[in-house]
Amino acid sequence: MRLNPVIKREVKVQSRSMKICWGVFAYEMILALVFFLAMAIIRQENQYSTNNIYSSLIALYPALAVTQLIILALIVPVRTASAISGEKERQTFDIMMTTSMTPFSIIMGKVMTAIVQSMFFVAASLPVMALSFVIGGMSWSYLFWFFAVALLMSFFSASIGILCSSICKRSVSAVIMSYGFYLIFVVGTVLPIILASYLSSYAYTSGNASSGMHRTLGGVVYSYEENFFLPLLLNPVMYLVEFFVRVMAGESLINDVTSTTGMWQTSGPINLVATGNRWMILSTVLFLMVSFLFLRLAARRINPIKKKALRRVTRKAAKSISPQDSQAGQPRV
Amino acid sequence: MLQINNLYKNYGKFKAVKNLSLHIPKGDLFGFVGPNGAGKTTTIRIMCGLMLPSAGSVTINGVDALTHQKEIKRQIGYVPDFFGVYDNLKVREYMDFYGSMYRMGSREIQKLSDDLLELVNLSDKKEVFVDTLSRGMKQRLCVARALLHNPALLVLDEPNSGLDPRARVEMKELLLNLRGMGKTIVISSHILSELSEMCNSIGIMDHGTLVASGRIEDVMDSVFGNDQLIITLEEGRDTAVRIANEHAGVKVASVGEQELKLTHSLTKQEIAGMIGEMIAAGVLVTGFHKQEGSLETLFMRVTENEEQKGGTENAVKSSH
Repeated sequence: MRLNPVIKREVKVQSRSMKICWGVFAYEMILALVFFLAMAIIRQENQYSTNNIYSSLIALYPALAVTQLIILALIVPVRTASAISGEKERQTFDIMMTTSMTPFSIIMGKVMTAIVQSMFFVAASLPVMALSFVIGGMSWSYLFWFFAVALLMSFFSASIGILCSSICKRSVSAVIMSYGFYLIFVVGTVLPIILASYLSSYAYTSGNASSGMHRTLGGVVYSYEENFFLPLLLNPVMYLVEFFVRVMAGESLINDVTSTTGMWQTSGPINLVATGNRWMILSTVLFLMVSFLFLRLAARRINPIKKKALRRVTRKAAKSISPQDSQAGQPRV
Repeated sequence: MLQINNLYKNYGKFKAVKNLSLHIPKGDLFGFVGPNGAGKTTTIRIMCGLMLPSAGSVTINGVDALTHQKEIKRQIGYVPDFFGVYDNLKVREYMDFYGSMYRMGSREIQKLSDDLLELVNLSDKKEVFVDTLSRGMKQRLCVARALLHNPALLVLDEPNSGLDPRARVEMKELLLNLRGMGKTIVISSHILSELSEMCNSIGIMDHGTLVASGRIEDVMDSVFGNDQLIITLEEGRDTAVRIANEHAGVKVASVGEQELKLTHSLTKQEIAGMIGEMIAAGVLVTGFHKQEGSLETLFMRVTENEEQKGGTENAVKSSH
């Protein structure tokens, strides 16, 4: 299998730059700070406890993992947001587009480079992360799951960044736009729940609690407020919270929410997706689908020959051009 | 080799290219000439698949460039007017990167890039970082890069802009070399004197329209005509004017201190006969030659009508 030339070049160029070394250094420093802070809190909490302090070290895992995922969510969009706009600013983009590489493979090359780089950071954090496994007694499979989640979140962040990069001409505006996009996924998916609670309280105070708040699905009545929880499937924060609650407590946050709000008793869509591991699986699939959609859109945006416009031109070419126009364009010598 | 038919490109209401039709045969070094904003770069970008026209077609080696992008990309080598380079990348790696973008094998890339770097006189710079090269060297490297996949057509957009005189000469020699190898080359430039030394055919664009195209000598003949003769003399100017006027089909256009400018419809033999008569009559003829125009004068001549037309249009617009 041939390695994507974009990845090959970018990795080579980046490995020669001191930027990557300073990046890893800063990354490790932040993790070290979080590590010591978490250790101080664990020590404080266990000061008057007879429990074994070592079992509390398991808490290092979510502390370090969440820190890493936040850092990745911040740096990956920056890396990819400047990928295409950077090529345009450097004026290497046109040359790239005249080669045999398809726009999608160029986009994939850029995204994969960002993922390789972020995984490099994650791998560099292994010695610190390993403490919660060696001393805290966590299963090593959780480390694998953390890698998988980091990979998925990097891919998602990178796809947002690359889409913005294909839209904006300047890297700075692409970075700002990608953070805006990210915010839509983090905050925008929560807004329907706020709206639902507002509608619910309004219905309660106006005495219409039972009217108009229910729908049927397959003959079973359910509260349509449940639908407002479904956008959370695409909320990265919710995804991480659900993941860590499952890993640390062996429970599901979404199951708790549905049972405490009474949705558990209904058989609406929320219960179809919140049962067992379905939420995590569906959420993962949706993140992958949205990421691929963004990559496709980015590839379409950078392609100078748009299919729709091409069809229009070829249709025009098929039609005959008026004799007056034909004469006007002829060389006059 | 390259066939463009009824090409249009509009940016909103502005027509950048208007009904351009052009044919460039295989092995030609075609010079694309025109003032800024004439539509040269737009046409070149359409040729290279970097832009879609509003209407028209572009065919390279019989393949439709718009609908068969994949095939066309292998047939075109493009050198833009200005291009950047990647930091921390060596010349050899630069060639390797672009070679792999054309899906070439590493051995093939290495062999071809060695040959091409020698051709562009950069074989001693293989291990040098690209961003440390001079502008002229970068431009030559870009030509080598564009030739890596052995394209049938090499397209250069203002390759000499920003180059010092030495780099320009080197670039000219390189292009002449490539022309000698039978490559079909399209080059757009403002430096007309250089184009006239390199190209065997030209196309002059103005306000989005191709106002003249063809073999340089044909275009020159059609613009300046083949009917002007300049006779330089030391003595006997009046006699020479009399003899010239005696010949049917000869008109004295101007009489200078030591120069006689004639327009005529004579054959070569008749011209020789007339000059002989002048010498026999005691006119001291020191030389005679057909008036030849330069690419600069040709360009000014063919674009002046467009300028006038544009000026009139502007005047009409402003009067409204």
